[in-house]
Amino acid sequence: MAQEVSLKSLRESEREVILRVLYRDREVQNIEEERIRKLKTHLQHLRWKGSKSGSQEYQQKSCARCQQALGLLLNRGAVCRGCSHRVCAKCRVVLRATRAWKCTICFEDRNVKIKTGEWFFEERAKKFPTEGKHETAGAKLLQSYQKLSKISVVPPTPPPLSESWCSGSPGRFQELGQFKGFNKSVENLFLSVTTHMKKLSKSQNDMTSDKQRPAVGPRQCEGRSERRSQSDTAVNVTTRKVSAPDILKPLNQESPKCPPSPVFISSSPAPNTLFSGGLRHGSLISINSTCTEMGNFDNANVTGEIEFAIRYCFRTHSLEICIKACKNLAYGEEKKKKCNPYVKTYLLPDRSSQGKRKTGVQKNTVEPTFQETLKYQVEPTELATRQLRVSVWHLGTLARRVFLGEVVIPLATWDFEDRTTQSARWYPLQAKAEKDEDSVPTKNGELVVRAKLVLPAGPRKLQEAQEGTGDQLSHNGQLCLVVLGAKNLPVRSDGTLNSFVKGCLTLPDQQRLRLKSPVLKKQACPQWKHSFVFKGVTPSQLRQSTLELTVWDQATFGVNDRLLGGARLGSKEEPAGGADSCSQSKLQWQKVLSSPNLWTDMTLTLH
Amino acid sequence: MASATDSRYGQKESSDQNFDYMFKILIIGNSSVGKTSFLFRYADDSFTPAFVSTVGIDFKVKTIYRNDKRIKLQIWDTAGQERYRTITTAYYRGAMGFILMYDITNEESFNAVQDWSTQIKTYSWDNAQVLLVGNKCDMEDERVVSSERGRQLADHLGFEFFEASAKDNINVKQTFERLVDVICEKMSESLDTADPAVTGTKQGPQLTDQQAPPHQDCAC
Repeated sequence: MAQEVSLKSLRESEREVILRVLYRDREVQNIEEERIRKLKTHLQHLRWKGSKSGSQEYQQKSCARCQQALGLLLNRGAVCRGCSHRVCAKCRVVLRATRAWKCTICFEDRNVKIKTGEWFFEERAKKFPTEGKHETAGAKLLQSYQKLSKISVVPPTPPPLSESWCSGSPGRFQELGQFKGFNKSVENLFLSVTTHMKKLSKSQNDMTSDKQRPAVGPRQCEGRSERRSQSDTAVNVTTRKVSAPDILKPLNQESPKCPPSPVFISSSPAPNTLFSGGLRHGSLISINSTCTEMGNFDNANVTGEIEFAIRYCFRTHSLEICIKACKNLAYGEEKKKKCNPYVKTYLLPDRSSQGKRKTGVQKNTVEPTFQETLKYQVEPTELATRQLRVSVWHLGTLARRVFLGEVVIPLATWDFEDRTTQSARWYPLQAKAEKDEDSVPTKNGELVVRAKLVLPAGPRKLQEAQEGTGDQLSHNGQLCLVVLGAKNLPVRSDGTLNSFVKGCLTLPDQQRLRLKSPVLKKQACPQWKHSFVFKGVTPSQLRQSTLELTVWDQATFGVNDRLLGGARLGSKEEPAGGADSCSQSKLQWQKVLSSPNLWTDMTLTLH
Repeated sequence: MASATDSRYGQKESSDQNFDYMFKILIIGNSSVGKTSFLFRYADDSFTPAFVSTVGIDFKVKTIYRNDKRIKLQIWDTAGQERYRTITTAYYRGAMGFILMYDITNEESFNAVQDWSTQIKTYSWDNAQVLLVGNKCDMEDERVVSSERGRQLADHLGFEFFEASAKDNINVKQTFERLVDVICEKMSESLDTADPAVTGTKQGPQLTDQQAPPHQDCAC
């Protein structure tokens, strides 16, 4: 059935013309597919909203769409001829002209069939059952000449294509000499597709501007061909250059021309590839966001400024950073004069991916306009301890990022009440100041615990223990710890955590006693109220021991759990947490050890 | 090149999703019958008498408002030359409707209509809607195919028939609009019920009215 579509009999120049048309067509198809996808999603939502799944519900008479109960005499409902469900009067759409009606879903279903052209594909399938639904002739033509999907995934390691070609088919290469830039990397392909669209749309309408041209005279012919070439040049040059050789390649190498039937049947992955490539960037950034924090990025010479506004709503506790624009940015890729900037923010010291907000990526500009508002939920008291870091990044090929500059604003001194500070301002971008940040201790919330040293006998034994004489006797001493709860933890983007606490008591002989609390799901301020009991420890041991309490966010799908923060008590305590909190918890810890059988409450700052 | 016109119309036509549905239409017929001119006249309202042979395929997009619906038309212009046949026929399958064109001053192009019709039957879906169009009806002096013969052939093949002129802008718009309407009719047929709310059955009579005056133009 599938006729061999082939460009092989054509001249190079002809092929080029046709390929341009094919690419233009693909833009149209991509838009169409996107539209169809939206329509279908909409229908799916409608279905879910009013779906009646189980048959048991049918005994109790209710409308299949709105689930409203149906009466025995009044509002009995009627069966839709489309889906055979019983629906109430409200959930019917009476078709104009005819008296017939359909239920809302069947009506919408029909609408979607019309709007998506599904009706046509269904009709066509009667004659060509193997035909891929949305696969167009253009897509096939393209598919049969290039493995587009491969192209868009293969990293841009451009061994000068020209060389390999020379060896393959020197004769043809001469003809292809005009494609000077076809070893341009794939990133062009990604980007050009979007920029492409705009240009393409021009090409379809460039005739309109020619309307006024007096089209009569001896040079009409020229005029005509000129017009044509105009519309041709409007097609993005980079894409053409990139793809043309790949399309021509199989031809030159006399390799199997048309991949057989599977290509025709497989439902169009390739037409999407280019486009989804661009869309996928978003997720890639997320996956790799830690990479940029780990220093896996390139640096550009920092230039330019960024304009943004900071607002804090005391009522909703929401901090809003309105990213307006950048100007005079450095090129992410200087050589290629490329820059696809986006803006990322953190509320330092939280540098986790949960605390990250970012704007969309602007393509091919060093003067991007974002107009996006990034929001954080922060307590007013917490705000003073944070620094807002606004950084600008270039998104390159395969999600490689280039740092373009940053601005760090300590919020402690920020006057949120003052109106004038709320308006947008330009800030000069600066190079990374990683070292400064590292010296700032991180603060990831507080952990509230209650601790008690339980000794089997009275104070006398303690006395002995303290004197180091009664170690054997008090060997069954216990350290009881109740982990009450935590607050101000670095929450996930949805504002929750599946948190748990680990306790690790390291004894002087490096023996470690570990305990773990249950996981509390979907809580930002978890209250575990869980007891840890470390048995068989003596006060003298404890004085030389270290107790580490760490709070974790349980990973959803077997990925590593995320450490939210931890606190250390005991001998090896370091003055990392700032003098106040440190000494405070130190005092409290000493109190625990010195007053056995009494509960001591402690608030530990997590780092 | 990037004129104001580009930004005004350009964006809208191509990337705008603001339409209700999309029809794909194919224009076929012998070489030099005026397929490209016909499309240019319709899509851009322009005309150049010079002949530039189409390489393989080309298309234009036009969004029209018809029967209360915004319909995006992707109109494929095909090369009439035999050597591009494998490429052009590949596009038959995706087309909902066809404009089969001949040149009223060219007997051969008229004789080829039967063959083109067979091509449609072979490569397209069963309900393909076809309009037979005799182009260049402005060139009355050089006419070799009478309107009557055209009409008879159309009746014989079961197509609707128009005589048109891309140069004088006669019946161009009507042709496309009629084709859109018959596709709409097919669509509602295929969706089993008569539902004029979404299709254009009501437009039928109006269109037959429109058909008459252009013929008078041709006769002059």
